Amino acid sequence: MPAFNEEERLARTLCELASAIPASDQVCVFLVDDGSAPAIDENAVRAAILEDRLEDRLEGRAGNDRSPRARRMRIVVARHAVNLGQGAALETARRLALDPRWQPSGGPFEAFVTMDSDGQHRGSDVLALAAAIAAGADVALGDRFAGGSEVPTSRRALLALARAFERATTGLRLSDVHNGLRAFGPRAIAGMRIRQNRMAHATEISQSISRASAERAEDDQLSVVEVPVSVRYSDASLAKGQRASGAVSIVVDLFHGFLFSDGSRDGSHPRGPR
Amino acid sequence: MMQAEITPAAVALVGLLTALFLHDFVTLQRNRRLLLVQLVVFAGGAWLIVYPEVARRLAHFVGIGRGVDFVLYPLVIWLVRESLLSRRRRHEEQERVTELVRALAASGAHELASPRGPDHSIERASPHSATSAASCTE
Repeated sequence: MPAFNEEERLARTLCELASAIPASDQVCVFLVDDGSAPAIDENAVRAAILEDRLEDRLEGRAGNDRSPRARRMRIVVARHAVNLGQGAALETARRLALDPRWQPSGGPFEAFVTMDSDGQHRGSDVLALAAAIAAGADVALGDRFAGGSEVPTSRRALLALARAFERATTGLRLSDVHNGLRAFGPRAIAGMRIRQNRMAHATEISQSISRASAERAEDDQLSVVEVPVSVRYSDASLAKGQRASGAVSIVVDLFHGFLFSDGSRDGSHPRGPR
Repeated sequence: MMQAEITPAAVALVGLLTALFLHDFVTLQRNRRLLLVQLVVFAGGAWLIVYPEVARRLAHFVGIGRGVDFVLYPLVIWLVRESLLSRRRRHEEQERVTELVRALAASGAHELASPRGPDHSIERASPHSATSAASCTE
């Protein structure tokens, strides 16, 4: 979960996620503060979670002192010293999730889900994606159009454009390419190295998926499913989100990546520590 | 033979070169070698401006129409290449910075708190304390 200059909505997102997780599941959130200024106040976030739990108890929802929900939710925080971009934050989170230091006791993680920290994704949808991975999919992508979200018209136009571009460049026929809610299985996550620091990472992920499929044998393809999710748009998240002008810089970033990368974009020949 | 052609454009351009050099001379005083190279390059440029016949004759000799083009063509090629190289350098620098920032982030990564267990433990748990991490990895 990348976070940049979020605190209140981040805390609410974490609370909602915690309450959506059944007690039987073990979840670890890798929260990457992407150089927020001021830095995300961990104490405030912790206090907000604590308060949320207290409220629950007061309302009698949890029933006892040891609320069963969120028992299994760990939160690992890492901070970028400077702002690098959402793609870079996701890659940092991916590395942390693959780092033996943070592996859960019961064996490696079964699913890797990415989500936004501004509250536009629902905790229940995160579970739906994880369930799709558990059901055997290698990649599960959130599809906001099938999920009954109220997508503003300007957004629809922009996303339709992005979709056409994606189809032309990756050959994947996905309906919602720039949705931050995605899930990967252990087989897929290794090849999902993100080198696009900024917003071009969405296209890069699609390319990685299509390349991973192309490299595998017929009977060993990655299975990709799309899961309906709902995205909540708020004025603040719309203001912070991508604009039409951002599309130009995405294309420029992609072109630079294409020009200057050394062909090891699939991550099978890592240049740095993984 | 060759004659100095003191046109208003030549005066303006040489004036600009002189002003730039003086500015750099004042601000880059510690970088003597760079100043020397700059002086040589600027002097060569000023010479070509004041005596355009030099470039003109060289251009005719190699089959280029105008003396200016004799200077411009190689300059454009060099600049395009320089621009591509600097973009690549910037890209590589950015990748290095990214890895550096990421390594720092990974080494400083820690458990926020343990939202399991009784609530008061959350208040006590320090983000860096080994106990809070251990209690979560059991």
